[in-house]
Amino acid sequence: MSQREYDYDIAIIGGGPAGSTAAAYLRQAGLSVGLFEGAKFPREHVGESLVPATTPVLIEIGAMPKVEAANFPKKYGAAWTSAESRDISHNGFQNLTHDFRAAEVQFNERDQDGVDRDYTFHVDRGKFDQILLEHASSLGAEVFEQTRVIGVEFPEPNSVTLQVRNDAGTREVRARMVVDASGRQTMLGNQMKFKVSDPVFNQYAVHTWFKGLDRKALAVQEGQTDYIFIHFLPLTDTWVWQIPITDDITSIGVVTQKSRFQDWKDDREAFFWDCVATRPDLLDELKNSERVRDFKTEGDYSYAMKEVAGDSFVLIGDAARFVDPIFSSGVSVALNSARLACADIVEAFHANDFSHQRFNRFESKLRRAVGSWYEFIGIYYRLNVLFTAFVQDPRYRLDVLKMLQGDVYDEQEPAALSAMREIVAAVENDPDHLWHRYLGDLKPPAAAAAAS
Amino acid sequence: MTDQVLDRIETFVRERFLDDSDDQSLTPTSPLLEWGILTSMNTAILLTYIRETFGVTVPPISITSGNFRDLQSITAMVEGLLPAAKAS
Repeated sequence: MSQREYDYDIAIIGGGPAGSTAAAYLRQAGLSVGLFEGAKFPREHVGESLVPATTPVLIEIGAMPKVEAANFPKKYGAAWTSAESRDISHNGFQNLTHDFRAAEVQFNERDQDGVDRDYTFHVDRGKFDQILLEHASSLGAEVFEQTRVIGVEFPEPNSVTLQVRNDAGTREVRARMVVDASGRQTMLGNQMKFKVSDPVFNQYAVHTWFKGLDRKALAVQEGQTDYIFIHFLPLTDTWVWQIPITDDITSIGVVTQKSRFQDWKDDREAFFWDCVATRPDLLDELKNSERVRDFKTEGDYSYAMKEVAGDSFVLIGDAARFVDPIFSSGVSVALNSARLACADIVEAFHANDFSHQRFNRFESKLRRAVGSWYEFIGIYYRLNVLFTAFVQDPRYRLDVLKMLQGDVYDEQEPAALSAMREIVAAVENDPDHLWHRYLGDLKPPAAAAAAS
Repeated sequence: MTDQVLDRIETFVRERFLDDSDDQSLTPTSPLLEWGILTSMNTAILLTYIRETFGVTVPPISITSGNFRDLQSITAMVEGLLPAAKAS
């Protein structure tokens, strides 16, 4: 029996939403936690719109009052706008420029377990992540900022050794197990060579903040100004996010195929404006506002891990999986994967056994949830008009809303998914179908979705 | 009856997709797709209108350019989907 001493019960790599949420759950269960974060908070981060599935987690870890007190814009729903150019050839109908809401949903149309309010938030991630990290600290997690984990060793069962480095040098930290919440840096995924690039998705994002954007001009109805807006562009697989950050600051991001970005020889500013110019209404509003941050790019963010758990380790949040920002699932996956993992970790701790099978429940729930999401995302890119149709169809509206709420962790496959699959097949097989020419280029094979 | 179905669909198309224009050049055989009056997005909206107004759900295989070529084709398709018992 080993006589090793441990610095902590659990070591956590990364202080973003996944890591700080895991730290909070573990501290609530009385485990000792050492958390290592490479940056100094607050720091900027992409991923600014939440879904309601974050609410039960924020409440459970006791952070919700602090999040409410920060006065982030409240998000009551989501809306899509059409990409169609109104190029009507006939004289009488030229110059029609109004574009209509393709679809909109309000979260409170469907009850969701553990969700006690009609809204969630859009957040400045610098502020939001700092709130959560400080909260974890207030619960007794030992948080080390500006400290990087450069390697993890597994010397024997139920034991890990982290190599951590800060300005003072490198030292070792010992724990019973490690939680990798290192985000898209995917620390353990890289070290253990678990990382698999997505065979289909290779999207790229360019984003920034604008001040003074007239959100009312882009909303059709009062009360929608603080929705997230997804603006389709008339370019394949391309869309724009519009996320309110404060009363007068709005985050705008263009998401498109990486190959299209490369066509601009990586000139991110020209690329951004050329894409936006395909929607003149959007371009007008942006030209009248002031850009207050540099353009940032995010790429190579679609990947999976062959393993999300093993002897003495689990991967959570972006470190486990990311697909695409289209349904704003990232922070919710971070928080909910932390919740699910910690349930298993606490039981493992009490059993004094951190072997792989202890995390089976976490693993299967996460894979199932992400699998559903992956398929919705694939269908969205393949035939996004289907979302418009399904959101307007009373038979399926609530099913689509359930997915948009992030409520994907129960056992059931959404009925809308199989209906959507059928229709996509019908459209693909019929060149005369009205929607045939709107098929996008991304086509996830069914096998890939199942394997996720 | 044909006229009622056609009228209602035409009115809907004018109001929703053409900003209520009363330009007389929209006729039952004006080519809606060619003219860009019908697009991928607004066909979804039209399908909802058809379902809510006539109780008819257009099956995916019927969403073809032939059936949506013009107001007349749409009307014929809708009537073909109405329950036989409905006389009006």
